Parts: sequence; C-alpha cells; structure tokens
Amino acid sequence: MNLLVDGGKHPKALLALEDGTVFEGRSCGAAGETFGEVVFNTSMVGYQEIVSDPSYAGQIVTFTYPQVGNYGINAIDMQRDILHLRGVVVHDMCYTPSNWQCVQSFPNFLAERGVVAIEGVDTRALTLHLREHGAMQGAISTVDTDPESLVARVKAAPRIGDHNYVADVSTKELKSFPAKDGKAAHRVVAYDCGEKAGIEKRLAAVGCEVTMVPWDTPAEKVLAMEPDGVFFSNGPGDPQTVPPTVEAVRAVLGKLPVFGICLGNQVISMAAGAQIEKLKYGHHGGNEPVMNLLTGKVEITAQNHNYGPVFSTFGPLVPELSGGFSEHAGDLRFWSERRIAPVVQTAHHGRVRLTHVNLNDGTPEGLQFLDIPAFSMQYHPEAKPGPNDSTYAFVAFIRLMDGRDDYLAIDVREGRRF
Amino acid sequence: MPRRDDIKKILIIGSGPIVIGQACEFDYSGTQACKALREAGYEVVLVNSNPATIMTDPQTADRTYIEPITVQSVAKVIAKERPDALLPNMGGQTGLNCAVGLAQAGVLEKYGVEVIGCDIDSIETGEDRELFAEAMHDIGLEVARSGIAHSIEDCERVAEEIGYPVVIRPAFTLGGAGGGMAYDHDDLLRIAREGLALSANTEVLVEQSVEGWKEIEMEVMRDTAGNGIVVCSIENLDPMGVHTGDSITVAPCLTLNDFELQRLRDYSLAILERVGVACGGSNVQFAVNPKDGRVLVVEMNPRVSRSSALASKATGFPIAKMAALLSVGYTLDEITNDITKATPACFEPSIDYCVVKVPRFAFEKFKGASERLTTRMKAVGEVMAVGSTFEEALQKAMRSLEQGHAGLGADGRTSYDEENFDERVATPTPERILYLAEAMRRGWSLGRLHEATGIDPWFLSRIADIVAAEGSIRELGLRGMDAEHMLAAKEMGFSDTQIGYLTGQREETVRAIREVLGVTPLVKTVDTCAGEFASHTDYHYLTYERGGADEHVDASKPRVVILSAGPNRIGQGIEFDYCCVQAAYALEREGYETVMVNCNPETVSTDYDTSDRLYFEPLTFEDVMNVIEVEKPVGVIVTLGGQTPINLARRLKEAGVPIMGTQPEAIDLAEDRDRFASLLDRLDIAYPPSSTAETLDDAKRVARRIGYPLLVRPSYVLGGRGMAIVYDDNDLQTYMGEATKVSPDHPVYLDSFLEDAIELDVDALCDDDQCYVGSVLEHIEECGIHSGDSACCFPPFSLSDKIVAKIRETTRRLALSCHIKGLLNVQYAVRDEQVFVIELNPRASRTVPFSSKASGVPLAKYAARIMAGERICDLGLPAEDRELGYYAVKEAVMPWSRFPGADVTLGPEMKSTGEVMGIDTTFPKAYAKTREAINYDIPMSGKVFVSVCDRDKRNIGPVALSLKNLGYDLVATRGTAKTLHAAGIDCEVVKPVSEGHPNVVDLMVAGDISFLVNTPHGHSSRGDGTKLRSEAVNRGIDMATTMSGATALVQAISALRQGPLDVYALQDLGHRW
Repeated sequence: MNLLVDGGKHPKALLALEDGTVFEGRSCGAAGETFGEVVFNTSMVGYQEIVSDPSYAGQIVTFTYPQVGNYGINAIDMQRDILHLRGVVVHDMCYTPSNWQCVQSFPNFLAERGVVAIEGVDTRALTLHLREHGAMQGAISTVDTDPESLVARVKAAPRIGDHNYVADVSTKELKSFPAKDGKAAHRVVAYDCGEKAGIEKRLAAVGCEVTMVPWDTPAEKVLAMEPDGVFFSNGPGDPQTVPPTVEAVRAVLGKLPVFGICLGNQVISMAAGAQIEKLKYGHHGGNEPVMNLLTGKVEITAQNHNYGPVFSTFGPLVPELSGGFSEHAGDLRFWSERRIAPVVQTAHHGRVRLTHVNLNDGTPEGLQFLDIPAFSMQYHPEAKPGPNDSTYAFVAFIRLMDGRDDYLAIDVREGRRF
Repeated sequence: MPRRDDIKKILIIGSGPIVIGQACEFDYSGTQACKALREAGYEVVLVNSNPATIMTDPQTADRTYIEPITVQSVAKVIAKERPDALLPNMGGQTGLNCAVGLAQAGVLEKYGVEVIGCDIDSIETGEDRELFAEAMHDIGLEVARSGIAHSIEDCERVAEEIGYPVVIRPAFTLGGAGGGMAYDHDDLLRIAREGLALSANTEVLVEQSVEGWKEIEMEVMRDTAGNGIVVCSIENLDPMGVHTGDSITVAPCLTLNDFELQRLRDYSLAILERVGVACGGSNVQFAVNPKDGRVLVVEMNPRVSRSSALASKATGFPIAKMAALLSVGYTLDEITNDITKATPACFEPSIDYCVVKVPRFAFEKFKGASERLTTRMKAVGEVMAVGSTFEEALQKAMRSLEQGHAGLGADGRTSYDEENFDERVATPTPERILYLAEAMRRGWSLGRLHEATGIDPWFLSRIADIVAAEGSIRELGLRGMDAEHMLAAKEMGFSDTQIGYLTGQREETVRAIREVLGVTPLVKTVDTCAGEFASHTDYHYLTYERGGADEHVDASKPRVVILSAGPNRIGQGIEFDYCCVQAAYALEREGYETVMVNCNPETVSTDYDTSDRLYFEPLTFEDVMNVIEVEKPVGVIVTLGGQTPINLARRLKEAGVPIMGTQPEAIDLAEDRDRFASLLDRLDIAYPPSSTAETLDDAKRVARRIGYPLLVRPSYVLGGRGMAIVYDDNDLQTYMGEATKVSPDHPVYLDSFLEDAIELDVDALCDDDQCYVGSVLEHIEECGIHSGDSACCFPPFSLSDKIVAKIRETTRRLALSCHIKGLLNVQYAVRDEQVFVIELNPRASRTVPFSSKASGVPLAKYAARIMAGERICDLGLPAEDRELGYYAVKEAVMPWSRFPGADVTLGPEMKSTGEVMGIDTTFPKAYAKTREAINYDIPMSGKVFVSVCDRDKRNIGPVALSLKNLGYDLVATRGTAKTLHAAGIDCEVVKPVSEGHPNVVDLMVAGDISFLVNTPHGHSSRGDGTKLRSEAVNRGIDMATTMSGATALVQAISALRQGPLDVYALQDLGHRW
C-alpha cells in the first residue's frame, strides 16, 4: 500500500540477496525474518495457488505481476493448507480485494500464516537480476534492516540443494481421496512429495480413487496394496535429496502403470538412469509453450521447477525411431522443428521416447517408456494456476491403466464442450 | 506447416475512412499485414479509400489502389490484378462486409480468389446473432436471452418475453451503430426504429440486459494446426451497458481469479474453433456476473479489431502481423517472438505492468447530442498509458487525453455540475471518472458509489487510494515531502502539475525539488515475458521505482525524438501520425536513431517496429522532458504531430531542448495575429480585414468598421472549435456570450468573412533558402466551411495558371520570411481574382498525406530530411507546375449518424472524422469515387428534394436544370419552388415539416426521395432544416448542404452516367515516390 495512503503504518522491510543486492520495502505479511532461494513467477493471477504449492518449500517467491492480492483469498483454491514457501516479494500489495468468492485479504492471510512478505520492491529489476545471475539465496527481514548485516547472514545460510524439503512437506500417514461422484474406475497410489490439491482433484475427476502415501514408502508396501497405477507427485527442491523415492520408482517400473509430474518426472528419469541438471533460474509461470511431439500441437503450460532431466543421459538414440538421427541434440527444439519424437535405449528400462519439448529453451518436458507402462511430465498438466491445455494427461493415465497403446496422443482442446 | 507456395499475390482490403468505431487501428493492422506478407515474399495488392493512412503509402504494398471499398470497385481491382488470395480480416467490419459481398456476388469464384485467414461461413456465424447463439448452445455456453426482430412489432414481442431493460443491437453494423438500451416501451420504439433502419438486412437483436455485470474481453489467436493462445485479457472499468470502445479498460484483467480467467480462456478457444476461425486473431467478449461468477458470451469478432490493436500495444505481441503470417500457412510455433528473438510466438504474453485505456470524446462538437454512454460507440479516439500500478496508469492516461486534465482531477481544472451532481456520478458519461473521484473527496462511501455505478469495488478502492494520497500531499505541502513521499506520489501517478496545484507551488518548482530529492523516472521495457527473457526491442515506458534500476541503453548513433499527435480527435488524427511515421522512416535512413513518443494505441507510430525506440508516454511537458532527459537527442521534431507538440515547442526550447526544423519563434510569429498581420503588411500580401475584441461593445465596434458577415472565433482553440459566421448584431451578441465561456479571459478574433470566395490549401516545404510548393488544393465548398470538412481537388480545376502561380509565389515569400525549415501550410481565399491569405501554419497540416499521394511527392519524408539538414535543391523534386493527367479529390466523412440530435450542417467548426480520396482522369469522375467510397449509393433516378436559403436562390437554377436533364423529378418547398418556376423549371411543391402533413419528411419516410439539396442559412439554422437533415442521415439519404457541393454532385452523376469508372494503382501514376 502506498505510503501516502496508509501513512507509513506498515514497518520497513529489507530483501537481501547473497550477491549483496538489496531492495528496500515495507512489510506486507508476517513480521520477522526468513531465508530461502529467491525465484520469480510470471503468472499474472493465481497467487493463492502459488503460495500454497508445497513445491515452493524453501523458496522466496517474487511475483512479476506488480499488483498482487486483487481478488483476495478464497476457500476453494488452496493447494495445501500449510504454507511451505519461505517468503513473498511483491511490488504493490492489495489490502482491499474484491471478488465474490473472497474470504480474506492476501496480506492478512500471509500474516496469519506467518509468511514474511515485502512490498514496494522493483520486482522487474529483481527479476532481471535473477535472470542474469540465476536464482540465489536471499532473505526478507522486518527485524534486521541493516543491509550489510542481512547480506552477511544470507551468505551464511544453508543452501536449498542441501536440504530434503520433500520430507518436510510430505504426508506422514496414508490419506484417501475418493473418485468424483464416488464412482472409482481405478485405484491409484500417489507418492506425496508435496502434491498439489489440483492433482488429486484432476485424478478424482477422471475416476481415480487415490491413496496418498509418504514420499519414502517402500515399494513393497505399495505393491501389496495392488493398485491399478502409481503416481509420483511434484515436490520441492533437488530430486537428488530423495533416494528412497527414486528407489521406489525403480521397484514399481514395469510392474504397474506409472505416471509422474514435475519432481515425479525427475525421480522417474533418475530411476531410468538419467542425470539431473539445475536450470539457471528455472521455469516458474503459466505461459510456457510445450510441444506435444506426438500430436505436433503446442500446449501453453504451467510450470514450476528449478531442476530437470538431461535427455541425452538416458542413453543412445535409436535412429530408426528417431527419424534416422543418431546424434543427440543439445537443444531439443531440434526435434520439435522436425516434428520427431526421438527414442533412446536405456540401460535397464527399455526404450524411452521424448514426448514433450519446451519451445522457449529446448528442455525436455515429457517422457514415455515404450517397453513398460510409464510416462511423465515435467510441467503441470493440472495447472492451478495456469491454462488447462494439458489436462488430457490424467485421461492418458486412465488409458494407460486400461492398457491402451495410443494413450498419450490426445488433444483436449478439440471439440471441447462445457 | 511452412508458408504456402501455391499463392503468390494477396489482396488486402482496408477499412476505408476513419469513422467512429473504425479508426486508425486498422491502418496499424493493415500496415503490419502488408509488411509481414511482403517480407514473407508475397506480392501484396491493397485497396483502401483512405489517403491519410500509412497503409496506402505506395511503399507499403506492391500495388496500391485508393479506390472505394465496394463490391463493384474491388471487383475491378481483382479483374485487373488477378490475386490468388484475399485476406479479408484486416480492414475491420468494412473489409469483412466487402469480402462477404464479393463472395456472394460470385466475384471470388469467377476469378479463382481464395479467401485466407478466415472463411465466409465463419464470418457469418460470428456476425449473425441467431447462428452465433446456436453455435454457443452447441458447445454448452450461455448467451444472453434474446430474440431476432425484423420489425417494430417483433421487437415489442421479444421485449415482452424477456422483460425490460433490453439491449437492442442491429446486425451487420460497425461499432454497434444504432444499438442502445431500452428501459421502457418508448425507448424501445425509438432505438428499434433507428436500429432497423441502420442494419444492412433490417435485423436487430433484442437481448436480455446484463447491466452491471463485468465486461471482459479476450484477444485470442489460433493457427491452422489448432494451436490457440490468449494474447491478452482486457477488463472494462465500466460494467456492461457501455460500449467497450467508450469504456475505460484495463489490461490484464484485474478482478478475476485464476479459475475464472482460465475458464474464459477455455471458452474463448472453444468459441474460435466452433465458429470456424481457421487461423488469425479474434476478439471474444464475455459478461461475468459479479455476484456468482456466471458467464455469458456477449459476442465475438473473427478479425483484428480496436481491441486487438490495444492488446498488441499492451503486450508487445503484434496480433495483426501474426494473423497475416498464419493466413499463409505458418503455425504459431514457427514464428519467432519479435521482442525476445529467441522464443516462439506460440506462447501467452505475461506482462509486468498495468495498462489503462481511456476513450476520448468530442461531444462539444455536437451540441444537442446526449453525452450518456451507451452500447453505441461515440468515442473518436483513445489513449493508453502504462504504469507499474493501475493508479499510475490511470493518472497518466487522464493527462494523455489533452483535455486539460493533469491527472484524475486534483488540478483545479474541473468544475462540477452541482445541481445534478448525484446524477452525474451515476450516469456513464465521459466525465464520470472525474465525478467518481470528486464524490470520494466529498465523502461518499465506496458502498454508495458501487450502488450508484455498478463499478467493481476494486476499481473504486484504487481510485479512493488516489484521492487519499491527494489529501496527504495537500497536507504535507511541498516542504513536508521528503524523497519517500515524493516517490510515493509519483508511484501513484501524480504529475508535477498536480503536486504543484495541491501544494500551491509552480510545476517548475515541483520538478526542481523532485530532481533534488533524486526522484526521477526509470526506463522499463515492454517485453511480452515479464522479464523472463532478454528483450531486443526498445519498446519502453517510464515509471517510478525505488532503487534506480534503469533499462535504458545508450546508442552509438545520434538520436532524434519525434513527438507525435496523441489521441485521435476531430481536427487532429491519423494524418499527423502518417507524418511522424514518414519522418521516422526517413530519418532512420539518414543514419539517426529515431525515438517516437506517443500515447495513442491505435496508431502505426506506436508500433515498436516503426521507430528505433518507442516511448509510450503522455505528451505533456513533464513526460516529454523525462524522455528527452533520458535520450539526450540531437534534435526534437515538433512540427509533424499537429498542434500537440507545437504547444510544447516553446517550453521545450526554453528548457534548452534542441528543436529540429522550424523554430518556436517562427511558430509564434504565425500564431500571433498582430505580428503576422504586420508581416503581411510588410510583404504587401492581402488578408481579410480582421481585429480582436474582448467585450460585446468592442466586437460591435469592429463589426461597424469591417462589416458583416464576420468569421468569429475564440483564441487558443483547435479545429475551429467555437468558430462561427455571424451575419448581424443579434448573431454577434449570442456568439460573444458563448465564446467567453469557451475561452474566458482571451480575446475573440473577428475576420471579415469572404462570402463565396474559393478557399485553397497549400502544402509546401522550405529549407530557409528555397521553398517548394508541393500542392495547391482547391476546396469544393466555399469559404466558411472548415477546411477539414470541405472536399478539395488537386490540381485546382477552376483557377487560372496566373492565380496558381501567384499563390505559389506568395507561399514562397511567406515561408522564407518566417524562416520555415520543414513543412508549412497556407490557407488562401480567392475572390474576384484577388488572393487573400487566411492563415499560415508553420507545421505539417491535415492535408499532407493527401497532398503527398495526389502529387506523388512524399512531403513529410522530405520535411524530415530538410530538418536533418538536407537542401531542397539536392532533393530532385519534380517541377511544381508539371502536367499530371489526372485529378485527385479528397472528401470529408461526417459522423452525423452517431450523434442524433446534433445539427447536420457544415460550418467553420470542423466535425468530420475522416476522409476518402478518389483519383480519375477528370474532376467529376474523381469526385464520384469519393461519394461511392463514403458509401453513398447515389440513386440514378427518382425525386430530388431541393430547398435552399435565400443567398443560394440565384444559383440554384443551373443545378436544378441539370438534375432535370439527368432525368430526376424535383420536389421543393414553396420558396425554392417559386425560384425554380420563375426559371421555367418544373417542380412539385411540398410542405415544410412545420406545416403539417404530408410534408417532406413523410416523403422521405415513404422512400420517395433519392437525395437532397438543402443549404442552411447562417450558423444556427434550427427547426425545419435540422429535422430534415437528421431524418436524411437516419435513413442514409445523401445530401448536398452547400451550392458548390450540389454542383459537384451533379457533375459526378453525369460522369457516372457516361459509364463505369476505371481503377488506378498509385504505382502506375508515373511518380518515382
């Protein structure tokens, strides 16, 4: 809120980055101090879904859209009840929201949930800085507003890669979610690494009864439940901090139909022998173009990840299934331009096809195992927030469990009825 | 899919003259389409009757036809050019309608022309209300309950079913012309009658009212592969009930959450698919119930539109360019994003600022018309502003309007209608936004305001914040404001002028103190991706942020700042945009880096592709200085953007800014009537006797001395505002009373009015050493009709070579004496072979684009080169007195049908919104083309109603006789009939309206009148003539309201009788362009 409107009643706050960059502003959430990795999200709406997404555990989220909180907080769109992110950075916070579903203002909500937030920041400058220098550690403080001191303490704080955030956010016990209208066609076990509520809602909508299990549940336990399929969810941080989950993937691959989203895609890739890289500043937004190489159509997708698999590390190309090419391309747009979905031979899990490519930077966005029933996506087909172009992924999972071969070649947009 | 190789030549249809609801946004889209298709290797043929456009510049397309956009005329172009394909969706409703007409007439089939970009069926599904409602029902979407009506009885029946209030929308009209909201049966009768008359197929839709619902628009693109993207969402501040063209709108949408917005996105893409938009851009409008989120589909337009132009400017995503490329087979993923140069166009722009559009109106020109905003668009232009917050963008937009506001009030420049204050708050009018703020100052609660206006509480809260900040500034005073406060004020969008007003200081003082406090704006970039990727395009806005992170990059080349013309308004529009764009093109080639400043989203000048750098900023002293201080140009061009930059010239120069070309001193000399008169005296050049007066007694004394009739006008106004011709003391008394209201504390100018003189416009170039007269334009209407409303012809058709030579010589002497460096325009009157100078404008005039296209000499481009130091003698210009072998005529297009109740009379105050051009071998043929281009279908037989004022009675004989000889029957009122009978011309006598029935209006209603010749007397002819002319406008009956116009019309009809007119491409006229 503008100083001339509120008379300066909100205390000063400071955002400091590990490289010494400092932004002054004012508190618009809980008072206190917070440390985390500073990232930016370019979605123009959907702040409620974003702050309640467990994948942001350990991170301070900067909203690039300058006026945040316009429609307040509602009772429907929470992705998880507990907020796991570390802090919020905005340009201008709205204290007087308007929307028929609104139950609370965003700043009050943040304060109530103990999330430290700062407004009055030149968020565009911050975004450009992160774009140029990469995501980095930072802190927001309403307590220590001395730039030098705060920067020094940021430098001393632990890194995001070092910590297993999945363990923090995952469910501690089994949870059940019934299918929509109670008509379950399939029973699915979901490894909760920080799953967004949007995912179980989508699964329920296509007729799945979901049993959610902790991230480190041994595979035998899951296999014993005799589900129709296993799902690996999104989640925070570096997938290399969750070997038990990777182990579980390895154990179920080939035994049951498997589907994974985001972190789920990463752990499935690791299980198949691929390496993981950290992107410079990640993908965080609702406008990332992804081509489905099986249909040649582009989906506008929601994304939120800093890590991703490296396609060439899955194994050598199978030229006869890759348009005759035998050399890996560094930039995967090589394939989307040719409308080819290349196939590699993995060491232990048969052939894997690249099904989706990010058209902005040529990173892999989707994989399909050809010899065993499994596929995964790096982006968020459930959206929340973001466009609904890719919701077919959940139908694809159903088709996979039904044993169909053409399960992924769907375009939900065609002939859509409401 | 890569580009199609089976088509080589593509025909693009433009949108014709600027009219309300269809303005220069189509020049922007059409120009983009031409450029994109030519860059992709296609040959482009263009048809557009509007000479003021960049699009009709002979360099934009390969073949340029400035010809009427009618089925008949475009068919001739097709026969001559044999294009492979037609791209119909770049020229607004006019282009679409013409394409449908060509298809229905079998022309496209006959010549094997394929329609690309959209198909005719989809146009019909999008346009036809019933088909559209069915299509929406098919995909499970709701539209407002409605019924189609073809008669008044139908309308009554449907309204009974739905219940009042109902909205009436005529089918197949642009900008919702003829529509409106009916609250009761009387309203229904009035609006339905008008709507049925205006609709091409006598069809209107009577629809459930959704007044008070949110109005949301989605700008959507789709390619042939089925990829769909939403480029931008736009939210109307005014709820449903006000045409979106008349609403304040914001982008992106601000009050919907992700679920609500994604739902609209899904609907929009499905609607495009269902309607059958194969590829291209469309606009989809929704109504959203603020109480429960229920969504109704309002309408969709399967073409580029005003909204798509706004969305393109708001996001940096060029919809028209992309649409053109998609139409030839590219898919979205194959096209690279212009701005990032690294990512594909197949994405959805994310923006990190707020955009506010505010429409600009011209009600002051149309006395008698209601200012209430309805579903029928009345705005003549718009401004867009970019800010970090809605508050900042709104205040910037308000000062961009150039209507005296320094922001959202708080400038001491608005007086409020105390008597009707509550009503003014509740009623949507152009000033409502100011009344909202004022109501808050007066303590209205947000609840009460929401109740009264239906405006979403979010917008009201933001405005309340602005008002609260205003109070804090006033309380603090300038001394009490530290850097923090000053920054906060600037973040709220307050201008230095407003801060000055609120703290009792001068603007200059505020600026100085602000700079001392270190509060200066930062350059930010419109980059389509909220900073996620590096931007390679210099499309900027200025805003205030803590921290000083500036994105300005210095350039190696010297920079020139071009100040453009701001919002379109009557008297200053696309013509000046044309000049500025030409200058940008020319100076780029001269080795400069060009920097454009403008705030009009409809224009080509605000295309980031036009100049090297674009600043989307208001054209006020403060905002312009901010750009100049950042860019440090070697020169600033102030003479091409109309009166807007001219008004800033002196202050800029005083601030040490280098002005390029003609200096402010010369501008002052021409505008200071006394100094200019003494210059004319010194040069021994004749001018009509004139004087100034401050009081009625003064004025009467002047009248005694100079004699009636007098041309009178207030000083310091534009476009002939408040100008009138007075014939006696009574007129003068009325006038002086009004004039002092328009421009208090300033004298009134009184000129001897040269009745029946021929008026001329001259556009010339001067380099302070040599002067080149580019064109001498002869007006068709006599002196006293504003030059902007008068038709004119190049070269002159009724003046001797001697007179023309004298005019050129006089222009030369004037230009050199005033030290003009660049363009100038001189207006002359010729009577009895005597040449009088009426005025000199030391800047580009409204006629420059027409003069350039008619003469084959691109004057604005040369003007820019002269300003950059080139000399006329080196430009290799053709001889001034060369033989051309053709005539070019410009005719004005009037917006009468938008303003029922206003008088339909031409006069000294300009009222036209646009113009058309016709080229042919003779004047009558060229003039006939302009009539056709304005869509007046001149009936070739039937009755002509003739009624002229006493002044014209002597001259009516020959005209009437010609009409008789052409086979028309004449009908006249008693007075005119007497004259005709005396001349031996047979005519029927009919009663005037005031004398009961059957009168002339009854004849018009019965469809018995083909056209009218009706000349009013003086400036305030009320009563009969007014009713008559309004009725003619309502029924689309053509009319001549001046004798000269009538003569030209008769000549045109004779020309048409001699056989069909040929079409000509500008490239074939023998110029080297």
